[in-house]
Amino acid sequence: MRGQFLLIPLASLAIVAPAHATVYLTVEQAQQLLFPGAEFVADNRTITPEQEREIERASGVSVRNRTLNLWRVSTGGWFIVDQVIGRHDNIPYAIGLDADGAVRGIEILEYRESYGGQIREPLWRAQFIGKRNGAPLALKRDIQNISGATLSCRHIADGVKRLLATHAFVIAER
Amino acid sequence: MPSSLPSVERARPLLGTTVAVRVHGLDEKDAHQAINEAFEDIALIHRLMSFQESDSDLSRLNREAADRSIEVHAATFEVLKLAEEMSQLSDGCFDITVAPQLVALGMLPAPDSRREPDPQATWRDVSLEPNHRVRFRRPLWIDLGGIAKGYAVDRAIELLRARSAVQACVNAGGDLRIHGPDSERVLLTTGEFRSDSLPVLEVENAAVASSGSVQPHAADSPSAPHFDGRSRQSVSKAGFVSVLAQHCVTADAVTKVVLALEDQSEPLLRRLGASAHLYDSARGWRHLGV
Repeated sequence: MRGQFLLIPLASLAIVAPAHATVYLTVEQAQQLLFPGAEFVADNRTITPEQEREIERASGVSVRNRTLNLWRVSTGGWFIVDQVIGRHDNIPYAIGLDADGAVRGIEILEYRESYGGQIREPLWRAQFIGKRNGAPLALKRDIQNISGATLSCRHIADGVKRLLATHAFVIAER
Repeated sequence: MPSSLPSVERARPLLGTTVAVRVHGLDEKDAHQAINEAFEDIALIHRLMSFQESDSDLSRLNREAADRSIEVHAATFEVLKLAEEMSQLSDGCFDITVAPQLVALGMLPAPDSRREPDPQATWRDVSLEPNHRVRFRRPLWIDLGGIAKGYAVDRAIELLRARSAVQACVNAGGDLRIHGPDSERVLLTTGEFRSDSLPVLEVENAAVASSGSVQPHAADSPSAPHFDGRSRQSVSKAGFVSVLAQHCVTADAVTKVVLALEDQSEPLLRRLGASAHLYDSARGWRHLGV
């Protein structure tokens, strides 16, 4: 074990690019992780106002987007890409459902809130590049880890509740 | 990075937070397999030690262990053992039996227990018996929220090491551990933005956990209040702490003790080979421990 506390001066850093984000997986990668070897056929749906009311009543979570990004899985089941709003930004995530609508797995696709509440700051919305010991410093790469005030996963838990109700009222053949 | 192999990182909602696992030095297929196993193990710890889920080991204990001894999973027993050690070392400041105070504040739902907790009960009333059996000497409710996350991170790191990951990081909502030959930087987010500098811990083969915030009551703050096990009083001071330790379970548990005891936690930190980095708006950064 080794560890050292540092205060890194920000003065030398210049803002070059928008929004810090960690991209974990592409949609295709998430598909293969949740349903290895399967093929996927896009089957997008539009949630009707009546279905929206049923989903909201059953899940207690409001439907923010009536477009459902849905794929039918060749081996049975469904793959959905959804977004929940975190503190300030959307968090895209993927969920795999078995043919009977049980959760097979969840993968977060992208995370834009690594800096917690501080993301509001214009400076934090940037990916910094500067100089350290003469070498280029890309902050996103240089600081890979965050410890401190972080997001709870309540938003994602609510999103999953909403999607399970969506499965019941929109996807499942009745 | 230690090799030309790709870095693979994924995240899932687990342990009431977002858990990210990053692996270097394995080919992509092996990396995903190792990450899958790490997530499955973390999910196991979640199921065993969840206060909310009624069939967890923890809920069974809170329901029944005051009436008879209950056999729990080896992992649950190990966490209870580690919690007991931390209570001994901190002279009762760290105490998993403060759950009734958290329930009273609405931070946790009331467990489905026939018996009300005894207000006199402390960590000393949790009896760890042979064969992974646990008995409560008085009716009490335990919560492992202050230690199970760190324990899950340590197990995931051990698993990734066993799968030959060269460099790995497991980060459970800011409680993290880094394994491997490369040092990495961990940004400490105190809840207060300063435009002049970034507080960072540069670590190698170490764990970091943080608690508190300089804005403890910020809207949507997921941080539960911390309780001093001896006074049963909430640690309400607006302050932030990061603890650096070899194991994440130590770092996770000790953050609560440091928030409660501040300077008086110095001997405990030294004994554990840990350091603490405290921040509040008035005093700035202070450093305790090794």
